[in-house]
Amino acid sequence: MPDRRDFLKLSALAVAATTGMPGFLARAAAQATGDRTLVVVQLTGGNDGLNTLVPYSNGAYYAARPSIAIPKRDVLTLTPDLGMHPALKPLMGLWDAGQLAWMENVGYPNPNRSHFASMAIWHTADPSQAGADGWIGRVAEKIGDPFCASNIGGTTPLALRADTFSLPSIERVDTFGVKLPQGLDGAFDAMLNAPRVGEADYLLRATRQMMKNTARVQQNVKKYRSGAAYPESRFAAQLQDAARLIAAGVGQRIIYVSLGGFDTHAGQRAEQDDLLATLAAGLAAFHADIQKQGLADRVVVMGFSEFGRRVAENASAGTDHGKGSVMFALGAGVRGGVHGSSPDLEDLSEGDIKYRQDFRGVYAEGLQKWLSLDARSILGGEFTGPGWVA
Amino acid sequence: MSLTPHPHNLSPADAAHFLRRTAYGATDAQIRALVGQPARTVARNALNFDARTAPDNPFDPAVGATPGAMLQLTRAAWLFELMYGPHPLRERLALTWSNHFVIGTDKVKNHPALAAYLGLLRRHAAGSSFERFTLEVSQTPAMLRYLDNDRNKKGRPNENFSRELMELFTLGIGEPGKPNYTEQDVREGARALTGWSFEGGGNVKNTYLKPVSASFNPRQHDDGQKTYLGQTGRLDFGDVIRIAATHPQTAVFVSRKLHRAFVADTPDEAAVQGSAETFRRTGGNLGAVLEELLSSAAFYAPQHRASIIRGPVEYMVAAVRTLGQPRLEARQLLNLSQTAGRMGQILLQPDTVKGWDGGREWINDSTLLTRMQVAAALTLGGTAPPPGAVPGDLALFGSENGPVQAALNGLNPRQRLYLALVSPEFQLA
Repeated sequence: MPDRRDFLKLSALAVAATTGMPGFLARAAAQATGDRTLVVVQLTGGNDGLNTLVPYSNGAYYAARPSIAIPKRDVLTLTPDLGMHPALKPLMGLWDAGQLAWMENVGYPNPNRSHFASMAIWHTADPSQAGADGWIGRVAEKIGDPFCASNIGGTTPLALRADTFSLPSIERVDTFGVKLPQGLDGAFDAMLNAPRVGEADYLLRATRQMMKNTARVQQNVKKYRSGAAYPESRFAAQLQDAARLIAAGVGQRIIYVSLGGFDTHAGQRAEQDDLLATLAAGLAAFHADIQKQGLADRVVVMGFSEFGRRVAENASAGTDHGKGSVMFALGAGVRGGVHGSSPDLEDLSEGDIKYRQDFRGVYAEGLQKWLSLDARSILGGEFTGPGWVA
Repeated sequence: MSLTPHPHNLSPADAAHFLRRTAYGATDAQIRALVGQPARTVARNALNFDARTAPDNPFDPAVGATPGAMLQLTRAAWLFELMYGPHPLRERLALTWSNHFVIGTDKVKNHPALAAYLGLLRRHAAGSSFERFTLEVSQTPAMLRYLDNDRNKKGRPNENFSRELMELFTLGIGEPGKPNYTEQDVREGARALTGWSFEGGGNVKNTYLKPVSASFNPRQHDDGQKTYLGQTGRLDFGDVIRIAATHPQTAVFVSRKLHRAFVADTPDEAAVQGSAETFRRTGGNLGAVLEELLSSAAFYAPQHRASIIRGPVEYMVAAVRTLGQPRLEARQLLNLSQTAGRMGQILLQPDTVKGWDGGREWINDSTLLTRMQVAAALTLGGTAPPPGAVPGDLALFGSENGPVQAALNGLNPRQRLYLALVSPEFQLA
C-alpha cells in the first residue's frame, strides 16, 4: 500500500497504483520524451481558404467574389498563381526561408457543413463520425503518458480526449500551480483518498492528475526567458505559453492552441483580415522565439480549420459554410512551398471546391515523419500525404 | 409511453437530489421542508414561478459606461439573480435555454436586445408552447443579429440562421447516414426567413443602450414557392418556425436536451422517447414535459444521483445557496462572473452557437485549479462571507453518509467548508 502522500510527490507510478488508472499510464516514460514537438493550430469557425491562399490569376475567383476578393495588387505573391492574404505579411520571411508550407484542397469524404459535425471529424480523424475519442488522445495512449499532449486554453477540444480521460488544458502557465491553504495538506489528501465510483471517481482522478501536471510544469518553466516580443493578443499569449513549455522541456509532444471567430457570414473582409493578422503576428513571434531558444529544428506548427467557405460570396459580403480548404505548416522541419493542386473554381460541388487531399494524410505525415509514431494505428488506416515534412 | 412516476414520497436524499438539480443546491432546512411530500407536488410547486426577481440587485446594465461595462453588468446581474432570486428553477431553465437558443455577446452588445432576450427565456422557461417560444426567440433582435438573419434578404440569402434553426434549435442533425434535413432544406428555409431584421439599437459606444425592435420588410422577403421539410407553399418566417418546431424529431431533440440538463449526461433513450411523447401529445407544452420529468422514476433513479458534473456557474451558485445565501459584495460578484469565464462559462457567450456540452468537458487542470481558488475565496479568504450555520452533509454532499466526512474531522468550520467545496461530491449534482 503506497503512502497516501505519494501523489503529492508526483510519481507517475504512484498515481497509477493508487487510482487504478489504466495500464497505459504505468507503461509511461520510455517514449514520452521524444525531442520533437508538433504544435497544432485550430482556426475555429471555418476559415475561408480562398481568401487565405489567394488564386490571384484566376478570373473565376474574382467573378465569384465581387466585393470580398483580395485585389491582385494586395496579394503577397508566392507563385505565378497563388499569393497570401496581405494580413499574413509577418509570415513572408518564413516563406522566403522555405519554412512555410501551404496544403491545397484539403478535406474529407462526404463533407459536412455543420461546424460541429465537421470539427468532430477533424478531431476524431473519423469521417464516419463513429469515433468518440480524439486523434491526439490516441497519441497519448500510444505514448503512454497523458501529459505528452496538452491544450493551451480554457476548454479541452475533443481532439485531446482519450478513452478514459481528457488530456491537460493549461489556461495560463503562470497560474498553473496548486497552493493548498496552510495546514490542509493532510486533510486534502485524506479527503481525496476515499474510494469512489462513477463521476466522483473521474473528478478524483482528474484532481490527482492535475496535481501531478502542475508540479511538473512549475518545476521547469522558470528556465524560460522570452526570445521574442509577442503581440498583444490572447492567441499570442497562448503561443508564448506553448514556447515556454517547449523550452522548459516539460515533455509535450503535441501542443494545441486555438483561434476562434472565423465564421464570417457577413462583413468577411474586416473580420477575417483581423483574424489572419492575429494569426500571422502570433506565429511569427512564436517562430522567432523558438529560434532564439535554439529549438528551431525541433518544433513544427500545423494549422487547420473545420472547413473552408463557399466559393461565391453571399449578399452580406460574407461567405457561407463550404467544404475543403487550405492547411498550413511552418518550421525548419517543414518542406516549404505549395503542396497539391489548386481547386478548380469552375468545377464545383454544390458551390464548394472539391477536396483532393484527405486531411488524414496530412496528419499521418506529422505523426509518422515528424513525431516518429505509428500513424496507421492512430488514424485507423493508411493515408497518403502531400509531403510537407522535410 | 410517457414516463413512470417516482413511486414514493420524498426521502431526505430524494429531496436533496431534487434541489441539487432544480435549485443549484439548498440549505438543510430547505431540503427537510420537502421530505415526505409527493414527487409530483414538489415538481409542480417548483415550476410554479411568476415574474418576481431578486430584490436589491446591485447591478444595472443600463448604467454601463461602455458596451463592455454593460456586458459585465448584465452577467453580474444574472449571476445575482441565480444566487439570490426567488425562483432558482426559472433561472436554471433560463440558463439551459440560453444554452439551447444560443446568442453571443461577441455579436450582440446592445442592452435592450439582451434584456429582451433574457426576459423571454424566463417567460417561456416552462411555458406552454415550444413553437411560440421558438418563434419569439427567433424574432428577437439578439437572435436576428447573432445568426445574421438581418442580412438575409430576397435573392441574397444568408443561410446561417436557417441551418442552426434545424441543426441546433429544433430537429437536430440526425444520425450519420440518416440526416433529419437536407442542404436543400437549409436553402429553402433561408429564403422563407428573408425580410426579418431589426431597427434601432447597435453595438457601439453611442447606440448600445438605445432601444431596438424586430422589423419586417416585405420588399426584402422572398414570397415565392418553397419546399421545406416536405411542405410546399409560399412559406414565410412563421411557417418555417412552425414546421421545424412541430416536426416529430423536435420533440425528441428537445426532450433529450432536457434529460441531459436534469437527468443524465448520457440519457436513457427510452426515457427520452417517453418525454417526447408527452411533448407531442401536449403540443410542445414545456411545463407539462418538465413536471412529468422532474417527478419521474427516471429522474430519481439511483444511478443518476450525483452523476452530473456541476458547471462553473452552477458550482458557484450551488456554493452560495448551500451556505444559506451569504451576501457577497458587488465586487466579488463581478469577479465571480469573470472567473466563470476562466472556467469555461461566460454567461451569454458560449464558445460556439452549439453552446456548452457540459459534463466532463467542464473539467481540466486549469478549471479544477480555478474551482479550488473559488472555494478558498468563499470560505477562507479575507473577503469570505462569515459562515452562518455550517451546512450539514445532506446539503453539502446530497447524502448523510458519503465518503468525505471522516477526512474533515478536527478541522475548523471554514476549513471543513473549503475541503467540502473542493471535494468530488460537492462538484456533482
